[in-house]
Amino acid sequence: MTPALVITLSLNNLISRFTFLVALLVFVGGGFVVAQADPITVQAHLVLGTSTEQKGKTEVSNVIRKRLAKVFKWMKYYELRSRRMSIVDGATKTAKLSKTAKIEVSNRKNGRIGVSLFSEGKMLVQKNQLLKPGNCMVLAGESGTDSAWFIVISKDK
Amino acid sequence: MNENETELKVQALVDGELTGREAEDLRARIETDDGLRKLHARLTAVRGLMAGAELPRTLPESGDFHWSQISKAIEREERQTKRLARPASSAKRLLRWVLPLAGIACLVLVLSLQQTTMPDLDILLGSDHELELSIEDIDVMTFNTGDDTMSVVWLDYSIDLQQDKIDLWLD
Repeated sequence: MTPALVITLSLNNLISRFTFLVALLVFVGGGFVVAQADPITVQAHLVLGTSTEQKGKTEVSNVIRKRLAKVFKWMKYYELRSRRMSIVDGATKTAKLSKTAKIEVSNRKNGRIGVSLFSEGKMLVQKNQLLKPGNCMVLAGESGTDSAWFIVISKDK
Repeated sequence: MNENETELKVQALVDGELTGREAEDLRARIETDDGLRKLHARLTAVRGLMAGAELPRTLPESGDFHWSQISKAIEREERQTKRLARPASSAKRLLRWVLPLAGIACLVLVLSLQQTTMPDLDILLGSDHELELSIEDIDVMTFNTGDDTMSVVWLDYSIDLQQDKIDLWLD
């Protein structure tokens, strides 16, 4: 075997090895990029439920009204505030819903979210659950006479 | 001993009912007493007449038959008393089972009636949810709707719904 032929063969071997390495890096890197899920979009609505009609207030969407009216006694539901948050995996975002109330929503990955409700700076409750798109989590309580507050948290599809 | 009693004794002697010393004493008295001797003779004569003239009376059934009838009657009475006693014990045994069963049935009936009278809110209790309460004074109730599309945490707490002025301006 001539020396020139030996050099050519070893060069070809080196190139094929390099190509294989590049292909492997592209495959692994692509997979890693795919594994990074898109951020979730969470909507939070502060709702007032009453038995009497209140002029000047915006009624909630039919979907929310039907869901709440199916369980609760109040027939009128008004949206006081709504916030939309885009949260990446493992991140937490805060939304102020009233003068003293705010929520912290955490994206706990794999469809699970954690919601903490704060009032006057104190955490009242924290709820962690799997929240599928179309489903909702409701934090609620009575507010004065014959009315109630609702924080309806849902995830966009 | 008066006269009547003595006559009766003589009669007993004639009938062979007196034995031993009493019979000997009376025989001695009869030998010495004319009145008693006459009475004894008369009674002996009458007995002799009666012995021949008395019609034989035979029992329609043998004595064994009567005893067997008596023993059967006793057995029958015993059987009847046992039969009367048995239903009482079996009734007790029955009550021992029937009463608890009736109690359970009543309980089930009451519970089922309560279930039917409860309003159907289409809600479920419990799920794969984690709830953490920071303030222990607040009463909390949590449930899911029947189709599991909505989870509710109901707090016995009133939050201030007033909007912050800065937020109002930003909105």
